[in-house]
Amino acid sequence: MEKERIAKVLAGIVGAEAVVVDAGELRVYETDGLTVFKAMPDIVVLPQSTEQVAGVVKVCHREKIPFVARGAGTGLSGGALAVEGGVLIGLNRMNRILEVDYENQRAVVEPGMVNVWLTNALAPRGYYYSPDPASQTACSIGGNVAENSGGPRTPKYGVTTNHVLGLEVVLPNGEVVRLGGRTLDPLGYDLTGVFVGSEGTFGIATKVFVRIMRKPEAVKTLMGVFNTIEDASNSVSGIVGRGIIPVAIEMMDNNAIQAVEKGVAAGYPLDAVAVLLVEVDGPKDEVEALVEPIKEVLKENQVREIRVAKDDNERLLLWKGRKAAFAAMGQISPEYYVQDSVIPRTKLPSIMRLIGDLSQKYGLRVANVFHAGDGNLHPLILYSSANEGELHKAEAMGAEIIKACVDMGGSLTGEHGIGLEKRDFMPLMFTGDDLAAMRKAKKAFDPDGLMNPGKIFPTAKAGVEVGAAGQRQILDKVLGPA
Amino acid sequence: MLSDETLVHRLGGLVGGEHVVAGSEASRYAVDGRAPRAVAFPGSAEEVSAVMAFASAEWLKVVPRGSGTKMALGGIPARVDLVLALSRLGGIVDYEPADMTAAFRAGTRLQEAQEILGRNGQFIALDPPDADAATIGGILATNSSGPRRLRYGASRDLVIATRLVHADGKVTKAGAKVVKNVTGYDLNKLYIGSLGTLAIIVEATFRLYPVPAVEKTYLAPFASLDGLKRLVASILDSPLVPFAAELMNVEASRRVAAAAGLPWPEGSYGLALAVGSVRREAVDAQLETVRRMSREAGGADGHMLEGGPHDAFWRATRDFALGDGLQAVLKASVLLTKVAEAVRVGEEVAGQHGLRLGVISEAGSGIVRYYLTGDAASPERFQQAVVESVSRLRAFAQEAEGNLVILKASPEVKSRVDVWGPVGKALPLMQRSKAEFDPQGILNPGRFVGGI
Ligand SMILES: Cc1cc2nc3c(=O)[nH]c(=O)nc-3n(C[C@H](O)[C@H](O)[C@H](O)COP(=O)(O)OP(=O)(O)OC[C@H]3O[C@@H](n4cnc5c(N)ncnc54)[C@H](O)[C@@H]3O)c2cc1C
Repeated sequence: MEKERIAKVLAGIVGAEAVVVDAGELRVYETDGLTVFKAMPDIVVLPQSTEQVAGVVKVCHREKIPFVARGAGTGLSGGALAVEGGVLIGLNRMNRILEVDYENQRAVVEPGMVNVWLTNALAPRGYYYSPDPASQTACSIGGNVAENSGGPRTPKYGVTTNHVLGLEVVLPNGEVVRLGGRTLDPLGYDLTGVFVGSEGTFGIATKVFVRIMRKPEAVKTLMGVFNTIEDASNSVSGIVGRGIIPVAIEMMDNNAIQAVEKGVAAGYPLDAVAVLLVEVDGPKDEVEALVEPIKEVLKENQVREIRVAKDDNERLLLWKGRKAAFAAMGQISPEYYVQDSVIPRTKLPSIMRLIGDLSQKYGLRVANVFHAGDGNLHPLILYSSANEGELHKAEAMGAEIIKACVDMGGSLTGEHGIGLEKRDFMPLMFTGDDLAAMRKAKKAFDPDGLMNPGKIFPTAKAGVEVGAAGQRQILDKVLGPA
Repeated sequence: MLSDETLVHRLGGLVGGEHVVAGSEASRYAVDGRAPRAVAFPGSAEEVSAVMAFASAEWLKVVPRGSGTKMALGGIPARVDLVLALSRLGGIVDYEPADMTAAFRAGTRLQEAQEILGRNGQFIALDPPDADAATIGGILATNSSGPRRLRYGASRDLVIATRLVHADGKVTKAGAKVVKNVTGYDLNKLYIGSLGTLAIIVEATFRLYPVPAVEKTYLAPFASLDGLKRLVASILDSPLVPFAAELMNVEASRRVAAAAGLPWPEGSYGLALAVGSVRREAVDAQLETVRRMSREAGGADGHMLEGGPHDAFWRATRDFALGDGLQAVLKASVLLTKVAEAVRVGEEVAGQHGLRLGVISEAGSGIVRYYLTGDAASPERFQQAVVESVSRLRAFAQEAEGNLVILKASPEVKSRVDVWGPVGKALPLMQRSKAEFDPQGILNPGRFVGGI
């Protein structure tokens, strides 16, 4: 690519100040939330409108230059990395809330808008936007759409795909199309549905049409303190078994508690083996009625202590620890490597045991902070790259956890996406024909394969720096040679 | 081209001779009057795959079929060689109550599935029309939904995995049997609602919900639509969480009330608000609020329904039909704030054309169903009236940012008006999807949007 010429053409579209070519400045875009991967784009552009995005994409299409969209760069699977170089399109300048329509329960926002801004804007009228990834104060809604992000609230309210009703998309050929919109059941194929979770490989979302919801009348949060992981896990099944669908059921193990208490002092007992956070919401009478049966289940499972948040302050404090957990890891380890595979809920006790065993085997500590209600694990494998070979070990251990989850009937990833990180794990779950069907969808959107190349699909392609330890090697060891 | 005789013989080799129907008996499976040359009833996904591999090799046009409750949906097929009936492909595949997920073969009737799950106090939270007869595959292919979607969402929100047979006979899966998963593209979304034009769904896994211990409905009569509109708006803007909110016109409320054995004041519109919970007090408290709000908005004294009458009421609503005579059913999707007006415009249009009209709308979801009927003695007039009504109501729905599709109408009507309506700029993307998944164009040709 003749970088200079292209940069000039792009400057003609977005303005010179919105084009980054300086190597030092480009470094910001070299990695995302998963810092073990690095890849440099050749050029970064920061468009401010759909027209500018379309203009940039048209140039890329005409010149056959690969391009990648980027929101806030908090992704945890290397999704926003320009692994083949090319143009990176940063969307954080397109960050407005375009429209809020309370009567129709809809909002229209730009992709670079930070997730929590919407809920903040809606709060005075008693409304909110439900999907709330723990990164919500930083991540963009465009990134949420691309990753189909979840968060603690998914057991009751679902993930991003359940709240996105339409999109404006710049297709990889630069055309602008509207998929879905403010009403349900749009005509034809559910292209909005398949776009959500396509990890930035189908097009660039330039507008997002979302469902907004009325705040519940009441919310109650309980914390259960346990002496064994087993008891905490069984409580999860027990609650659901009573016909109760909590908004959230989150679990933290002792390592996580240690980190959180050092970090934000949320008041979790330091000697607890596990704590469970359970939140229910709804009309006041219903919420009141749910507290007792939940307590009963916890007691049936040898809960050591139950705390019910008395007011919003106490409630927020309980949640503060959970929300800050990833960030707090710095208190107990220089680095961590997080996995997010999923298992059927009933397999929780066995997978937790296995993770404990693997921790012994690899000699690495693991902190577990995760969405127990939907079986979505987040083992944070603690390591330090200062120690020779530890990252390597962490990655190998992560691979073993993933494999075990799939063997138990689960999935590689519940919310962080495949991206660059897990693409070579895809054959664990999908046959060649399954993947071929996915490629058909990709081809319908992006026949030239220009958008976000090198993601999702397995590839043994050399020349890409995949993790400091060389991921291929690890995979060969854990999963058998490709 | 294969002779009919060879066709039947070859199919018999794949699914067993006793599972192939041809000749005049096959014409009972005609789609919009187009009779297939043969009907095959495969008994397993492998047999579906074998039939599709055969169809693909012979370029046969294939129309998949469940129990046939929704065969009137869609454009008139370009050609029908083979009807692929999935009615033998039924039964549960796996079910783990504690995980609240269950997989069923596509030919399973929803009702059957609910009976199995009900033993554990769980259910698939779908309540589409014809729920007793409709199969899971058919419900997903047509994205059929009902009143409960207000609380539980539609098929796209409830299906976590599918198994497919593709046009060339290849078998694949999409999704995973866990309630949260983002591994690869979510192709479930593409297959659901694709009316069998991309692949044939042979199995589906659902996330399940617990059956609420208590469910009750408050049904309020209203003399005018204005009061109803205000009431719906204030309920939607309140912390109440009904699982269904149906607004019905005079004709529909009268009939549904009668079917549920309830007295109904002449000339009244109706609003039904349904609430469920694990606790009775929680249901009662919400419905008392609804009753009070309803009175304040000018509603007459209503019915509090539970048990038998409750079930009868919802069954009549879901499976609503206007008795004998010529029929057409339309479905509009509009902004929530336009629902009441969609009802009013429907009545106006029906009045102008001398049609009898029942309207049932999901007021919290913006879905409006129009049930039109006319005098069997003058089919020409009825057809013309339906064609004109479709144009008028479609224009209204588009104004309201939505669309209008024909769910049921005679081929005469369908040949004169697009059953789907214009798709807009996304059509080429849809056409490319179709070309990728079914390059020969053998799956349900001509029945989907834009002639797909
Ligand atoms: C501390 C921490 C906690 C987290 N907690 C959660 C959690 O609870 N739940 C969860 O699901 N995730 C979580 N994440 C992961 C991450 O925040 C989400 O994946 C988030 O949606 C990424 O948004 P982003 O704007 O940072 O996207 P980026 O990282 O910038 O990009 C992610 C992907 O989206 C694509 N993309 C971005 N914008 C667009 C667009 N407009 N159109 C098309 N494609 C686009 C990119 O190309 C890339 O493939 C967490 C991350 C961190 C660091």
